[in-house]
Order: sequence, then C-alpha cells, then structure tokens
Amino acid sequence: MAFALDLLQGKVKADDCPPLLEPKYKKQYETLKELLGSEEGVEKELRINVDTELCDGCGICVTICPVNARYCPPSLSGKAPDYPPEKHQLFQVKGGKCELLELKYCRRIEAEGRERECRVCETYCPREAVKIEYV
Amino acid sequence: MKRSVCSGCSLLCDDIMVKSDGIYIDEVFGACLKGKEKFDQIASQHRILSPMIRKNENLQKASWDDAIQRVIDLIKKSKKPLIYGLSNSSCEAQLKGIELAKLINGFIDSNASICQGKVLDNAINTGITLTTITEIINKADLIILWGSNAAESIPRLLNKVLFSRGKFRMTGREIKTLIIIDPVKTASFNTMGVRDVALRIAPGKDLELIKVLKEECCALDSIPSEGAAGLDKDDMKRLLQHLSGAEYGVIFVGQGILTPQKNSNLINELLELVQMINIKQERGRITLTMMGGHFNMTGFDHVALSMYGKRGALQFRDNQISDIDDTIIKKIEREDFDCSIFIGTDPISHFPMSLSSKLAKKPIILIDNRDSATLQLSSIVLPTAITGIECSGLAYRLDHIPIELKKIINPPNKIPTDEEILNQIIQKLKSEGGS
Repeated sequence: MAFALDLLQGKVKADDCPPLLEPKYKKQYETLKELLGSEEGVEKELRINVDTELCDGCGICVTICPVNARYCPPSLSGKAPDYPPEKHQLFQVKGGKCELLELKYCRRIEAEGRERECRVCETYCPREAVKIEYV
Repeated sequence: MKRSVCSGCSLLCDDIMVKSDGIYIDEVFGACLKGKEKFDQIASQHRILSPMIRKNENLQKASWDDAIQRVIDLIKKSKKPLIYGLSNSSCEAQLKGIELAKLINGFIDSNASICQGKVLDNAINTGITLTTITEIINKADLIILWGSNAAESIPRLLNKVLFSRGKFRMTGREIKTLIIIDPVKTASFNTMGVRDVALRIAPGKDLELIKVLKEECCALDSIPSEGAAGLDKDDMKRLLQHLSGAEYGVIFVGQGILTPQKNSNLINELLELVQMINIKQERGRITLTMMGGHFNMTGFDHVALSMYGKRGALQFRDNQISDIDDTIIKKIEREDFDCSIFIGTDPISHFPMSLSSKLAKKPIILIDNRDSATLQLSSIVLPTAITGIECSGLAYRLDHIPIELKKIINPPNKIPTDEEILNQIIQKLKSEGGS
C-alpha cells in the first residue's frame, strides 16, 4: 500500500518493484504504466476520446467533471452549463453528443498528487464512450 | 440564445439551449440524443406535411377542408368511437380531446393506461409518497432503479439525480447510493461505484422479492437462508438496510416492474412495501417516481382527474361520464369500437399483433406529425405541429410538476396544432348538429 501511494505521488517508479518486471506480470506492468501516464523520461500526451457513435449525450461527464463543477455553477444541479462555454470548461453536449472543449485544464494535466489520477468521466460514462489514453 | 424546455421525453429538461433565428434551429446545446431527435423531426423525411385521405387503397394528399369533412362524416357514422393517445400533446389539446369524446359519446384513454398510470390506479387504495426532481437533486441519498434502465430510456435523469451536488451539499455522487434491481445488466450498471449495490434478480421474480421484504419488515430474520428471487440473503438484508436507513430515498419505477407477473398485482405490493418501510423508517422517507416515456403522459392523468375524478379510461354515454370500468385493452380485445382516433401515438406498432389486427379492421383517423405503422393503415391522416418546438402548451413532468413549453419556430405549411385540429372538429360537429 505504501509503495502504491509513493507510486501515485511520483516518489518511486513501477520499475522499482522487481516482481512487476517478471514475465507473468507483463500485462499488469503495462496497465500500470498506462495508468501512470508517463514512461521513463518521456512524457506521453493525454488524449480524452469521446466515441460519438456510442455517446447519447446524457451529460454525466459534464456534471461529474470536477473542473466543470468548479467553473460552471449550473452543472452543480445537473443543469447544462451556460453558453458560450467558460474557458476552463472541459466538456459540453452539442447536438445530442458530448464534445471535448479544452483539455489543458483537465486535472490529469493541471492538478498535483492524487487529484492527477482523476478519471471520473471515463469511470461513470454509462455508454463507455469516454476513454482516457496516453499516446 | 436562451434556455428552453425539451419535449423529447417526460423529464422535460428546462435547461437546454437553442440557437435559432425564429425560422430555423441552428444548434441545440445540453439536450441528449433523444431531445436532439425531437428537433430533427422538424425537417425529417418522415414528417407529414399535408392531410391525406385513403382512396382506392392508397393514401392521397387532400385539402384540409376535405380531410376534416371526411373525419366528421366518419365520426357521425360511428356509434362507439375510440380516442387514444394524447401523451405527446399539450394539456390544452388533452382538454379538447376529452371534450370531443364527451360530444361524440366515445371512449378516451391515454398511453399512461399501459404504462405508469397503473401505479396511480393502485395508489387510490394504498396511498403513494411522491417527490419532485428538485427535492431528489437537493436531498436524496439513496436512488433505486427498479426494472428501469434510466441511462438509456431517460438519458439525462441519472445526470440530474445521481451526479448533481444540489443546493445544500458540496458532494454529489460520493454520498449517494445507487441500487439497481434488474435481471439484465443494462447501461445503468456502468454508473455504479464501489458502495453501490447491483441486484441481478431472476426474471419475473420481483413479486417474490417484495413479499420476502414485506415479511422481513413485519418479523426480523424471516429471509430464507438460501435467499429468494435469485438473490442471496446478504444482498436482501443490505437492500432493506439501505431502504430503512436512508434519509431521503427514491425508487424509480420502470417498465420492468409494470409488466404483469403471474396475474398478481405487483404495483400494489410495491406500494404497500414502501408504506411499511416508511412506518419503520426513523431517519427519513422513501418515495416513488414513475418513469413515463412520452413527454406529457402525466398530463392526461391530471387533466382527466381534475375533470372527472378518474385518471383515464373515460367512457361517455349521453354526453355524460359513465361509471363503466373499462380499459383500452379490453375494448380492443372485445372489438367494442367501430372507429378509432389516434393522436400522437403509434398503437399498431406498440400493441401486440392480436390487438393491432383488430384495430386495423376498423377505420382509423390519425392525428400525428410523423410517418408510422399506424399511418400505413389509416383512413384519414391529419398532420400537426410539434408541441414544444412549433407551438406552446402546458405539460406535466414525470414528477407531476407542470412545465410551460414555449414555441421556438413556426410550423411548416402553417400546420395547425393538436388543439386547433380537435377544436375545428368539435366546432364543425356542433354546427352540423352533434354526433
């Protein structure tokens, strides 16, 4: 548990755990690397992909996103944010589909520590349309 | 750009934003796919733009005067007319519908009779604890989806009731517990967190679960050790703990529980269970909310209740309400009608084949704005404006709150509204000496 916390805080790396480097844990090692979002020395680029074929515009990502909640007061009551969108706003629903507006204010880029591991939009999407990726 | 009310489903979201110059709708923000589809109907290729009359087995375009005259002739010939639908119309049109039924001594019912209306019918005996969406947003800490896939049937419902933070709290989803009782793993299950409870009940065993819970409410430790209804004992205890320990719980009743099971009155049992839990409850209360599909399904219940003290299924004789207790299904089964008027609905698609074939034998008058299976069998078709976009009106939200719908653009070809068409028929019938 202590190792996991250190890993989240960036004090240690996945490679510091010798059992993870064993072949039988290769899949877990790769998943962990993907979750942590960075490779040794090379910072991967964050992408939030919204599959417009799957999305039904429920707006859960708009309401649950902590950045939207902070800067768009209507989303606190589950309402659609105002238009034109606030500059920090990450998501909006346009034409019945979710649309990604501004990624640079996402917690995965801006925040520190554990908040950086936020992936609520992906976790709670009922249609599994939102995917967080590092490329 | 200003906030408008969406008439895509019974949630009637009053926060969507529509960009329009008064002639065309350019963009819709905040509406889900269902709401967007409603706006797409304006210019849909399935839109009906002119009245049609069946001639030589084919539907042919006709003038308004001819079409209305054919409707009048058909109604005058009819001894037992049937009026059904009106859940996609404003309350004003529903009032006119009831007025027409009274004038022609017909039977009138709405789609609620085969949907959420069953809950209100049973509530006459048991009582019901209702709530509003705003109360749920601000206070609820327990949300139960029973036989409903809210994430796909009413897409923005969970966004509003489960993920919002409300007026009095800074936390939202974190303190709300979601329980889903469903035999199928639906999209709603994807919104569950670690503290939520997923109950994959055996199909058709809701009554068994309700009965066990009722027994447990009366006498502790009466849950069978092997569990019941496909659920284990611990899951059932957890469900009851949440029900009796919640400060503000709400059960969303879906179609899954409205379907009859083993000729039993499932709704009645559920209402009794809720009453028993509320007596046991020390911290708060449990409420019920019905999830209707059509945007003004609840409206007809209110209009009919305020006029005749009955939620629906109004039979008129000698221009007076009759005490006969009938339903739309029984009427069609018995073929106790000789002409049907459908307003904003598609019963040929919705009803089972055995009923649809009986409906198809008699002349059909359709008042609707889009192509459907019913249209293909209709004798006369009258197009209407889309309520909430092309005309204003009052509608009741699923939590029984009246919401005013506003007109955004003009209808194409100056198509009249449901209310105007029904009024024209009533006036013409009156001027020609009634039915």
